[in-house]
Amino acid sequence: MRHQAVFLAGITWLAVLLGVAVLWIWRARTTAERLVALDAAVLVLVGLLGLVAGEEQRSYPLDAAGALALLSFVSTLAAARYLGDRRPFEQPDRPAEGPPP
Amino acid sequence: MTAWIADALIVLGLAVMTLGIYGIVRFPDVYTQLHASSKAAFLGVSALLVAAAMGGEPAIVARVVLIIALLALTTPVAAHAIGQAAHHRREPMRSPDAVDESGTTLAGGGTSSTVE
Repeated sequence: MRHQAVFLAGITWLAVLLGVAVLWIWRARTTAERLVALDAAVLVLVGLLGLVAGEEQRSYPLDAAGALALLSFVSTLAAARYLGDRRPFEQPDRPAEGPPP
Repeated sequence: MTAWIADALIVLGLAVMTLGIYGIVRFPDVYTQLHASSKAAFLGVSALLVAAAMGGEPAIVARVVLIIALLALTTPVAAHAIGQAAHHRREPMRSPDAVDESGTTLAGGGTSSTVE
């Protein structure tokens, strides 16, 4: 009973933290800070899903958490590369156009 | 006994995670916020996931190990990518005693503080 209460309190507190993180995505001063807050919000959500799985002793929320962690990594990487380099991937060196000198 | 350990891990994870979010809100620039975001939030999530796995259900334990390994590999890479992007965009370091070791002048509100 106490064990369940701790899990439920944890879920509630993480929901509050998720709200703060989402609010900070809204209020961030620069785009990079917004990206940091987005990354942290996804980590909070992964923790929330982990607590839901632990509370119910079922594994399916963890499937969602794993997929979310992977998607968050790819999206953060792409957004950061776009933010820094204005393109998400390195472009291969193109051969020089026209005849060589 | 495992229930007590799980409860302690949940409290620890919540405390660390709260500190991480508080750091993101309070730290003055993106470079310092990355410390809170990557380290504190990852450690908090790990503690929460281990607490969830203390029930001993094999399906949960396997997924928890997988997710923690995944996060341990991806969180530093993502944090480095964000820091690199901020540096490329020449975002200033707003911390009072910031030192820009990269040779550029992002620290101290535009004054040069290159490490010799």
